Amino acid sequence: MSKVICIAKKELSSYFKSPMAYIVLAMMISIFNIFFFLIIDQNREASLGDVFLVMDFMLIFLTPIITMRLFSEEKLTGTMELLMTAPISNTAIVLGKYIGVLTLFSIMIIITFFYYGVVEYFGQPDRLTILFGYVGVWLEGALFLSIGLMASSWTRNQIVAAMMSLSLIFLLYFSANISPHLTGSAETLFESISSLNHLENLVSGSFTVSDISYYFSGILVCLLITRVSIENRQLAGISRK
Amino acid sequence: MISTNNISKNFGSFEALKQVSFTIERGEIVGFIGRNGAGKTTLMRILTAYYSASSGTVLIDGDDISKNSLEIRRKIGYLPETAPLYLNMTVKDYLNFAAEIREVSAKDRRRQLHRALELCQLENVSHKTIGTLSKGYKQRTGIAQAIIHDPEILILDEPTSGLDPIQNRQLRTLIKGLKDHRTVILSTHILSEVEQIAQRVLMIKAGELIVDKPLDELLNTRSFEQSAGSRKTVTLEHVFEHYHRIRTSGNAA
Repeated sequence: MSKVICIAKKELSSYFKSPMAYIVLAMMISIFNIFFFLIIDQNREASLGDVFLVMDFMLIFLTPIITMRLFSEEKLTGTMELLMTAPISNTAIVLGKYIGVLTLFSIMIIITFFYYGVVEYFGQPDRLTILFGYVGVWLEGALFLSIGLMASSWTRNQIVAAMMSLSLIFLLYFSANISPHLTGSAETLFESISSLNHLENLVSGSFTVSDISYYFSGILVCLLITRVSIENRQLAGISRK
Repeated sequence: MISTNNISKNFGSFEALKQVSFTIERGEIVGFIGRNGAGKTTLMRILTAYYSASSGTVLIDGDDISKNSLEIRRKIGYLPETAPLYLNMTVKDYLNFAAEIREVSAKDRRRQLHRALELCQLENVSHKTIGTLSKGYKQRTGIAQAIIHDPEILILDEPTSGLDPIQNRQLRTLIKGLKDHRTVILSTHILSEVEQIAQRVLMIKAGELIVDKPLDELLNTRSFEQSAGSRKTVTLEHVFEHYHRIRTSGNAA
C-alpha cells in the first residue's frame, strides 16, 4: 500500500510541478463559475441540479486532458522501465496513478463546494439532493478518469491517448441518445451504459444500488484492462525502442 | 548466481535472442559486448524482468524470474540505456522516490541517499531540477538511482554514455568499489571500458552468444597468434574483430 501512496504522491506532485494543474484548475473553475451564476440567475432556485449537469458535460473534455500523460509520458521518456523493474506490482502502479489523478480531480470538486455555500446562504436547498449530486459528479469523473488512464496505457502518444479516451467517454455519455435509433438488445445495452442516465438519477436525489454499481464496476473494468495492457506489453516486449 | 538456460526472445517474426545460456557467479563483473542491435539490451531487459523471455528460463539465486519476479527485482539495480529520469523532479526528490519504490526503509533512506549522492558526486546539484542538468549529471543521477538500495546485482546498460573521461574513470572506480559480493553486469560497445573493469566477457552477435570467456584468457596472445599476427599486445578490439570475422565467414568460434 505504501508504494501505491508513493506513486500517487509522485503523480499529484508532478501535476503541480508543471503549469498544467494550475491552468486546468483555473480554466475549469472559471467555466463552472460562469455557468453557476448564469443558471442560478435564470432558474432562481436554491438547487444545483443543472450546475451538476454542466459540470458533467465539461468533464468529457477535462478528464482526457488530465489523464493523457499518465502512462504515455512514462513510455515516451523511458521511466516506465524504472517502475517496471522496481519491486512494485502492476496493480500498485495502476492504482497509484489512478489515486493520484483522482485526488487532483477531488480537489477541483472540493473547490466547487463554494456553490453549495452560495445557495445555502441565499435559499433553503435540499441538502441531500445536493449531496447526491456531488457524489454523482465525483463518480462520473472517477469513471471518466479510469477510461483516460486505460487509453493512456495503450499508446506513448499523449494526443492519441486523449483522442481515444475522448471518443470512449463521448460514446458512454451520448449512448442514451443513440439507443432510440437501435432495437432489441443493442437498444437495451446502449441505454444501460449511458453515464448520463445514471448521473441524472443521482442529481435528482435518487440513490440506487444499480447507479452506484454501474460506476464502480465501470471503474474496476477500466483499471483491470489497464493492468492487463501493461502486462501484455511486458510479455510482448513492446517498448519505446 | 545468475543462470540463463536457452533463453530466446522473439518480436513477431524477428528473433532478437537465440537460445542464450550462461552462468554468472556472485561477485563477478561481466561485460556484455556486441554491435548495435546484437541483443544486449534485450538480454538485460529480460534479466531485470522488464521483458519476459519467449522461451527458456532465468534463475537468480535459484529463483525463476518468471515466477518470483518481485522478489528478484528487490536484488537488482538497473540503469537502462537511457537513464529513466523524471525531468521535473529535483535530484533529491527523484532519488527519494527511487529509494521508496525500491523498499529502502524510512530510517535507512537518508543514509542511502547521502551515499548515492556522494558516490555519484551529485551533492552540489541535489536540489536542482533534473531537466536543467547536463547530460553527464543526468547519467550520474541514473546511476545513483540504480545503486540507491545497495543492490546485490547491478545491471548497467551503456553506463558511460554522456560522461567525460574523468567521470568515466570515476564510474570505473565506483563499479570496482562495489565489487565486494556485488555482481555487476555492464553492456557497452566501448571495448576499452570492458577491458578495464570486467573479469569476464560475453559477446553477442545477432542474438547468439558467441563468446563466454574470462577476459585474461581472451586477451592471451597465444590463442590469437593467427589473427593477431605480429602484434605483441592483443586488445579486446582485436578479439572482437576476430570473433566477428570468423562468425561472419561461417567458422565456429
